[in-house]
Amino acid sequence: MTRAQQTLSIGLLLSSMYMVAFLGLAPIPETLQNDLIPVLPFWAIVTFGAYLLAKLGYGVLTFNDVPQAHQELVKQIEQARVELKKKGVEVD
Amino acid sequence: MAAQKHKYSILLPTYNERRNLPIITYLLEQTFSQAGLDWELIIVDDGSPDGTQTIANQLIKAYNTRGAGGERIKLKPRAGKLGLGTAYVHGLQFVTGDFVVIMDADFSHHPKFLPIMIEKQKEADYDIVTGTRYAGDGGVFGWDLKRKLVSRGANLVADTVLRPGVSDLTGSFRLYKRAVLEKVIKATESKGYSFQMEMMVRAKAMGFKVAEVPITFVDRLYGESKLGGEEIAEYLKGVFGLWYKV
Repeated sequence: MTRAQQTLSIGLLLSSMYMVAFLGLAPIPETLQNDLIPVLPFWAIVTFGAYLLAKLGYGVLTFNDVPQAHQELVKQIEQARVELKKKGVEVD
Repeated sequence: MAAQKHKYSILLPTYNERRNLPIITYLLEQTFSQAGLDWELIIVDDGSPDGTQTIANQLIKAYNTRGAGGERIKLKPRAGKLGLGTAYVHGLQFVTGDFVVIMDADFSHHPKFLPIMIEKQKEADYDIVTGTRYAGDGGVFGWDLKRKLVSRGANLVADTVLRPGVSDLTGSFRLYKRAVLEKVIKATESKGYSFQMEMMVRAKAMGFKVAEVPITFVDRLYGESKLGGEEIAEYLKGVFGLWYKV
């Protein structure tokens, strides 16, 4: 099953469930039916969007910087150049 | 039970890497001799105009020895820029090891992580071990906020759309079992950036066991980075293409 098929199947399932609720075909308490169900899709989209944004922000904030790795590398490059020149390899 | 002797083949496609190639070779040689591991380096150069192949030949003279297992470095060039995927396929023909390493030639991927990846692989006989910049004590150097944002954003898009189960989908520092790499490459169709991503998604879809190792990614010291608006569009096309195909 491709990811597209997976996503679309789940989407179809959720949509049908929602349609059942939306059309009043399921026994749902009145306050829920009138106040919650109609706005559920928008609420879901906004929440999902907010979740993604939060994930992105968190990811950027916790993105490790590694200056030590850079310094170590610079030193090793110097070592490398010395060794390589000895072995007759051009390094510029 | 006799211990299995493993050999690690590094597949290195190059294009205009005359400055980076000797250094990365030196680092590889250091790493593998210190770890006491059997290795070889296969350089697939796409007809670089900057003399990369001259350097490769100098390295061959400097590092290869006569006798069994002495041919550490092999240069297997091609006439021109024919793409990353075909470079791997071409290089694979000359691999004599049972494991293959894919990495960049510009030391954004440091060979010091290879023994760590190799150990990880042994833990549960993983089919693939991939480096991740995003998890554990992985990280980057030389990236400003914008670059980090783009990188995380891209990974988030891929993660949400494809739900691949690895934290760094666009990374290209990986250790594969040779047979696994051959199978995955055969199934992969994309070109360019999407190629690495597709390999991982396909590998997961084929049921291969993948482990991750945090790596530090030091952005290019020599050479320019290739990232622009056009690349981003290509990338999105790639991600959704995979969503549809795999």
